[in-house]
Amino acid sequence: MQKSIPARQIALFSACVLPVYKMLELPSLLARRTNGDLWLPALLQLALQFALLCAVLYAVKRGEGTLLSRMQAKLGKGLYAVYGLYAVFYLFYAVLPILDLEKFTYAVFYDTAPTSFSFGFFFLLLAFVGCKRLKTVGRFGDGALFIFPIAFFALIVMAFSACDLSSLLPVAKTPVQDVVSAVRYTAMPFCDVALLLPLVLRLEYQKGDGKKIAVGYGVGAICSLLFLVVFYGVFSTSAGREHYAFSKIAQYFPALDVVGRVDLLFVYLLCILAFFYACVPFLYTVRCVKRLAPKFSPCLSSGILAVVAFVFTLFCNKYYDAIYSLFGYRLYPVFWVFGFILPLLLLFFTGGKKRATNAST
Amino acid sequence: MNMKTTGLTGNLQKDVGAVKNILSAEDVLTYDFTTENGVACTLVYADGMVNKQLLGELVARPLSALTVQKDGGKVALSALQTQIATTVRFPEFKTKPTLQESVQEVLDGNTLLLVDTLPIAFIVGAKLLPVRAVMEPPTDVAVKGPREGFIEDIKTNMALVRKRLKTPELQMDTVRLGKRSDTAVVVCYLQGTTNPRFVEEVKQKLQNVQLDNVPSSSYVSALLSSRPHTLFRTVGTTEKPDIFTAKIAEGRVGVLVDGSPIALTAPFILTEDLQSSEDYFISPFMATLFRLLRLIALFVAVLLPAFYVSAQLFKMQLLPLGLILTVASSVRELPLSPALEMFVVLFLLETLKEASIRMPKYVGMSLSVVGALVLGETAVSAGFLSTPAIIVVAFSGICLYTVPNFVETGSLLRWLYLLVAGGLGTFGIVLLSTFLLCYLFTLENFSVPVLAPFSPLLLTDMKDSVVKYDLFGLKQRPKLLRSPNKTRLKKGD
Repeated sequence: MQKSIPARQIALFSACVLPVYKMLELPSLLARRTNGDLWLPALLQLALQFALLCAVLYAVKRGEGTLLSRMQAKLGKGLYAVYGLYAVFYLFYAVLPILDLEKFTYAVFYDTAPTSFSFGFFFLLLAFVGCKRLKTVGRFGDGALFIFPIAFFALIVMAFSACDLSSLLPVAKTPVQDVVSAVRYTAMPFCDVALLLPLVLRLEYQKGDGKKIAVGYGVGAICSLLFLVVFYGVFSTSAGREHYAFSKIAQYFPALDVVGRVDLLFVYLLCILAFFYACVPFLYTVRCVKRLAPKFSPCLSSGILAVVAFVFTLFCNKYYDAIYSLFGYRLYPVFWVFGFILPLLLLFFTGGKKRATNAST
Repeated sequence: MNMKTTGLTGNLQKDVGAVKNILSAEDVLTYDFTTENGVACTLVYADGMVNKQLLGELVARPLSALTVQKDGGKVALSALQTQIATTVRFPEFKTKPTLQESVQEVLDGNTLLLVDTLPIAFIVGAKLLPVRAVMEPPTDVAVKGPREGFIEDIKTNMALVRKRLKTPELQMDTVRLGKRSDTAVVVCYLQGTTNPRFVEEVKQKLQNVQLDNVPSSSYVSALLSSRPHTLFRTVGTTEKPDIFTAKIAEGRVGVLVDGSPIALTAPFILTEDLQSSEDYFISPFMATLFRLLRLIALFVAVLLPAFYVSAQLFKMQLLPLGLILTVASSVRELPLSPALEMFVVLFLLETLKEASIRMPKYVGMSLSVVGALVLGETAVSAGFLSTPAIIVVAFSGICLYTVPNFVETGSLLRWLYLLVAGGLGTFGIVLLSTFLLCYLFTLENFSVPVLAPFSPLLLTDMKDSVVKYDLFGLKQRPKLLRSPNKTRLKKGD
């Protein structure tokens, strides 16, 4: 049985890694639909995810052992179906971040025209991370504490010089149906609980763990909202056309003319987190496959899946817009089902009685 | 040595013959003499490894004057043994019953005393091995702090450790390694402070492998490493007894290897490389500042050439406009691409470094002149290399030496980064960094992650990582070492 991931690592992963993907393509997507109120659908989504996370943590807290062990006891072999479904879901979930990162890579890392194979090397990383255990995700959460705050706040401070917050006013002027549609179609980047699920399911709950994770997620959510607000403050009405927000947000900082684009160094730091973020659902898929077929080597399945992902990206990068609208506008219910409804069902796996108080970590 | 265990016969001629049969080399000598009343004795020793004067004065002379008690014309064996033991007043004097053990002692530098009629061998510890003096190690020079360094002799090294840790808790367990070298490896730890699991694991790892020869501690280091092929060190090394004992006192296991001045410590974490013995002799603020400086210098050393190449090839925006123009004017007529140029300069640097280490000192000066002035200057004026490239590599080279223990790994990483920067630009740099981070996050030895206390996050252990707290801030031993004795500083005790 795998060791439990400490609550601290889950909290730090929530605070320092999860917000990064929301700073990539989501800001322009939200700005296109809701203009200065882009923070409103984000707030609703984050509040929804926060509530869902609290519900899941409640389910973890109520009862003995890990939530996974309780699911195993209740579902028996039925748990394999869950593994199978989530293996497919995580693979499905990994598609957009990888495609986003590919576009982002060509736009941000190169002034020149790179070959279409350049991004192919990312799949080596994908295969490598896929071989790792879940504890790598937790350890990365710890490590991100030394990357995210430095890079994020440096960019925000630099961006503030060109930020006009009055462009966000008047508040809540966007029609409700636009906000609702923005919420509906941006389910994918906000599927945070689904990404935390494999970690939380293995959590050996101890007193205070729930608070730690909730606070971690809350901090991440505040960072995401702060970024959206500053982003719109910098780009105002043109925000909808500004893709890959975090690479551009600080470019108007006056000192950059003298010292060069040092903001890019902070962007690159965030990219490390973004690259890892894109690998996480892939790693989960490999772990699910490992559960379904224990004799099948994770390295082999990771390698095979990475090759499949590489070939898919190679053929599909020209149809990015089509894939994006397919995932965003047609297949969005999948994210609602796997990212919201199914995690909510975990409430059925509560042990019924309150857990005996453990010593705090 | 692969021999059948056989006992000694008590027949002096036969026993000496058996020993000489095994130790047939010319440097194994024998010295025959008799006691006052004619009992024959023989000393067997390896020439150049024993103190002959001591042997003569404390063993041969008293025994020659000894009158062996005889019972009805026959020698009483137990009485003879006692007589010899009381006559030879030597601090290291023991008996060995088998031929194999006796032979082993001779190879270790001890002297064998065989006495006619006695079926045992006396071992006289009159070892006098050629050793150099204790001096400051060239790899770990300190302006402030102790200057003693380990030498090749394990007994001296053990004494240097014992001198600093005068506690009965200090244990030194000897393990013999190497089928042919039979090298003594001493595992040092503090009982009650070091996690017993670490001690067991070290011993187990040492005993699990049959090596032919163990010429230095690097062999033992490979045995102790969880992943022998890793880029990063997973076992600590030091040449200084003060650092060695400090690490043992923290709860680590130390390993001394006979014939090697480099001692090993485990478990090892990467932040140990940032620490210098001087940090503990200056104010904690200065120590923190220097550690930060070393960390930044390390990143600069590894990444600067790569960023310079990718800025030129793929992302000019990384440089300010004025610098772009300067660089552009320098590289305008160069025949090499930026990546190839950087490869050439870095190759030059590494070659010069390699040559200067191995070259005799008096040739070193000429090498510096040829390398730095002739090669560098003429290569630039001939339009073969650009000045910025030489500056970048020189600065990177200097930065790398701020963390001497990381030079090999840093140098290798610099090549790797240069390779990916030349091919993929900053994307390659970021990708490789993510790859290395993921690798390091899972790299462990003795179940201790090498990136601790950053990942996993151990806040209390951070007090002596990049940040250095004062003495009173370091009340607890590092958590990651899981010591049974957690407290190392108590006030008013």
